[in-house]
Amino acid sequence: MTETSGKLRYVPTTCPYCGVGCGLNLVVNDGKLVGVEPLKRSPINEGKLCPKGVTCWEFVQSPDRLTKPLIKKNGKFEEATWDEAYDLIASKFKETSEKYGPKSLGFQVSCRTPNEECYIMQKLARVAFKTNNIDNCARICHGPSVAGLSLSFGSGAATNPFEDVLNADVIFMIGANTIEAHPLAGRRIVQAKKAGKKIVVCDPRYTPTARLADEWVRYNPSTNIALINSIMYWIIQENLHDKEFIEKRTSGFDELKKTVEKYAEVESITGVPTERVKEIARIYANANNAVIIYCLGITELSTGTDNVRSLGNLAMLTGNVGRPGVGVNPLRGQNNVQGACDMGAYPNVFSGYQKCEDDATRKRMEELWGVTGLASEYGVTLTEQITQCGDPIRAMYIFALNPVVSYPDSNHVMRSLEKLDFLVVQDIFMTETAQYADVILPGASFAEKDGTFTSGERRVNRIRKAVETPGDAKEDWQIFVDLAHKLNLNGFDFNSPEDIWDDMRRVTPSMAGISYERMEKPESVHWPCPTLEHPGTPILHREKFSSADGLGHFFGLEHRPPAEVADAEYPFTLMTGRLIFHYHTRTQTGRAKILHQEVPEAYVQINNEDAARLKIQNGEKIRLRGRRGQAEALARVTDEVAPGVLMMTMHFGGVGSVNQLTNTALDPLSKMPELKHSAVAVEKITGVQ
Amino acid sequence: MVAKGDMVYAWTTSPDIAKVAECGGAVTGLLKYALENKIVDAVLAVKKGVDLYDAVPTIITDPAEIAQTAGSLHCGTLLLSKLIKKYLDGAGEMRLGVTVKGCDAMGLYELAKRNQVNLDNLLMIGVNCGGSVSPVLARKMIREKFGVDPNDVVKEEIDKGQFIIVTKDGQHKGISMDELEEEGFGRRSNCRRCKMKVPRQADLACGNWGVIGDKAGKATFVEVCSEKGANLLDAAVKAGAIASEPANPKGIEIRGKVENAMLKLGDKWRARYFEALGEGKERLQTMMEDSSRCTKCYACIENCPICYCVECSTKKPYLVPPGVLPVPFMFHLIRYAHVADSCVNCGQCEETCPMEIANSLYMHALQVDMERMFGHTPGVDMDLPVLALVEEQAERQRLFETGSDQIYDVFK
Repeated sequence: MTETSGKLRYVPTTCPYCGVGCGLNLVVNDGKLVGVEPLKRSPINEGKLCPKGVTCWEFVQSPDRLTKPLIKKNGKFEEATWDEAYDLIASKFKETSEKYGPKSLGFQVSCRTPNEECYIMQKLARVAFKTNNIDNCARICHGPSVAGLSLSFGSGAATNPFEDVLNADVIFMIGANTIEAHPLAGRRIVQAKKAGKKIVVCDPRYTPTARLADEWVRYNPSTNIALINSIMYWIIQENLHDKEFIEKRTSGFDELKKTVEKYAEVESITGVPTERVKEIARIYANANNAVIIYCLGITELSTGTDNVRSLGNLAMLTGNVGRPGVGVNPLRGQNNVQGACDMGAYPNVFSGYQKCEDDATRKRMEELWGVTGLASEYGVTLTEQITQCGDPIRAMYIFALNPVVSYPDSNHVMRSLEKLDFLVVQDIFMTETAQYADVILPGASFAEKDGTFTSGERRVNRIRKAVETPGDAKEDWQIFVDLAHKLNLNGFDFNSPEDIWDDMRRVTPSMAGISYERMEKPESVHWPCPTLEHPGTPILHREKFSSADGLGHFFGLEHRPPAEVADAEYPFTLMTGRLIFHYHTRTQTGRAKILHQEVPEAYVQINNEDAARLKIQNGEKIRLRGRRGQAEALARVTDEVAPGVLMMTMHFGGVGSVNQLTNTALDPLSKMPELKHSAVAVEKITGVQ
Repeated sequence: MVAKGDMVYAWTTSPDIAKVAECGGAVTGLLKYALENKIVDAVLAVKKGVDLYDAVPTIITDPAEIAQTAGSLHCGTLLLSKLIKKYLDGAGEMRLGVTVKGCDAMGLYELAKRNQVNLDNLLMIGVNCGGSVSPVLARKMIREKFGVDPNDVVKEEIDKGQFIIVTKDGQHKGISMDELEEEGFGRRSNCRRCKMKVPRQADLACGNWGVIGDKAGKATFVEVCSEKGANLLDAAVKAGAIASEPANPKGIEIRGKVENAMLKLGDKWRARYFEALGEGKERLQTMMEDSSRCTKCYACIENCPICYCVECSTKKPYLVPPGVLPVPFMFHLIRYAHVADSCVNCGQCEETCPMEIANSLYMHALQVDMERMFGHTPGVDMDLPVLALVEEQAERQRLFETGSDQIYDVFK
């Protein structure tokens, strides 16, 4: 036994996975992580965790961690000192910026990094290089929520907290497999069900969440607008809409009413019989309090923003906004996808959604940051930056993202990254993307640094440092501070994440009141919270909407088919999905023993009838072929998907990467690529059983 | 000199401890004495975290720090037994003083039967426990039923059938536990069914029940339960760290009555829960439906003080296919088969279940049935249940080498 062994220590922190923000204790013994124990004091999850949460400590001490800065020389990575790496990055970025201007640079930050790091990275990009080419991966999950809910309600965030579903009479879920994707928000649904609340789940798949439902509605993939318009048509037709709410608190109802008149019968589009639509309309509209919960089945489509706005329409039509038990809640996929957007790691806003194009805002930010010449234009978004690699973007900084696996059309991503003059990847593992880097910087995991994650209910949760980084790896906020000093920037004299947070509070009115001290108790604070005395805002839009005129806005929105639909050559509709056992590209969960054992490789759900026709056995490896590439996965033969529809796991790289098939077609308003809908053909792989 | 079976009033002689401790502070005083005199290498106890709803286990090696763990927290629902196995090597090489509730002590006995903790290295100071309240529910209860901001509460206690709070401005407020529990507040469901209120498996069983007369509130009632316990108390008294006097016979009687009342209450709750569960196929149906929500987080296994296997059968692909939801019922059948005869009703499997499956209720119901059928009572002594007759790894090795499928080979 060493001197410190047996010195058991619990470090309360926040789970690094989905956007629910569960509290947990990291257990430290002798300076090493030895496990996770329940944090029963957390009001969010009361000590309960999902399969990912309980194993979230395992990857931290993986021998695969990056421990030294690496610089690529003659095609091979060689270990370097931090100074060598910093000097190279500073000189290359300065050179590129001077020669080609601010549009020649791209900055991308992951939503799994803490607020403080999102903030400091966007500040560095904007201050040092006067570029707005900074974006985060909300772009490929909830970008349409930010855009859509902003247009409808004036704020792009979830309206009500997770626990608040217990105050609803009806829970209307669409495009959300909460039990798997957000298990501890799923627990609230289970509790609601046990309390006798009515659960409606609209999903093309019979998911573990659909199994909970009192009413499961299977509809054709990507026909959300038609379905919701039809529900609204019948609500109006049967006079179940909330006239007083519409009159007092909204605008645009006439436009909506006119539009939905075309949607009385939509079975030919959605596959849902009209009587069934009427039933659902009545259940939702007759509830005293009904809440809408949605996820990526709504957003990851080229109609994403309109899908979200349709849900906004539905909620306002029945007056279900602005009190307990109601609202429209996107479930955020990553631990800090809310926060990354809040922090201004976004191409058109500073922290707190302060618009870059607004002259007064820019002037104020310049004063507060002590700089001049901040960029005003809408910067280039995440996947558009990939498309712009080589021209005009020549140097890129990717912080904790793995685009080669996670962005649509992997082959396009790989070809694009090769066109860059200079690529920096800052991460904790050698990812598929890091292979393309010129410099790799070893960062810190969630267990090795202080900071905050903002969960999907706008609650700012602390993470706390439990152990040291391995080898020469550094806490990521420190890397940005060091780089800022190499670039001779003022305003980066931060000695801790709390310093950075306080700098953010100073420039962000909506979060000014949330101090670290107030986050000590796990209840913490929900933004907006403008002052230290303000209690925070768990429920948005109570008296009036957050929009400039204080009103909620209806939009008449038309159904549009996806960009690529099944045809004779590619007869199957391919959807993607998240599993409870994995997180994103598995750089973390793939290193947890039991999670890897549960699902070690990609699979695709295929309907019994299709499988029988194509002579595909359950468990057989099959090939999917599309216009942009092909992928292989194990067939799971099931009736959980309808004939003609496939669902493939989103987590795997290599031959099992679904993103070799997905479409880069964009939602015009949010630039969300159409990850959830593409057309493929299914083939047996000869010689493989 | 005291001996096993003796009952005394005891209190600390240290003014510093007396100031922070409750009911005479004998527990804190004894632990401090044990640590100072190298009777133990370390103490595992529970301290207050961010507030009094946050119970945090802590290892203490410096006697000066022991006062951090003084006082009781009824809104902490930790189980220390599994922590000793998981993180402290089962006290294999370290002599550990530990405060235990009934469920902690029972869990330690079951782990000891399976060679997962070394009882010889444990000094168990038992504390009476009438049950505990989950912290988040406790806060909700205080807000909704007491009409008090839970952040304004400076002390809580469970006494004479009431949950009592003291606010920062000195106000006392108590509500009957029965009333709270009828409305879904109060103690965890397993605590309601619990009948291990005085942990006599520990070396000393301490509490405030039965302390009457001038010592009421100023002394701890200590029942000596082992020679180890007697030696500790004697030595501490001799050294002047603890003062003691024989317990008042009337007090002993009162303590017995309190304990009996708690046991009766436990019986009442058992009848209520088990009857609601039904019997036979009806019960099985309920269990299958409820457990069909399982998402395989393994928390019920990870937190169970019976489970210790390195190769858990639920992770064998030929028994439970990996990566499949809904999880086949075999997963739960394996748990029932492996745990039910030894379940100590600690409640962790239910409290940590993210899918709100009443795991503890099912396992406890099965345990009570099996106890009736086979006469084995878990957690009270070192009698081995059938599944503890062999050690898991050795048994797996034997099956592998002989090709036998006769698990545990009990008919040889």
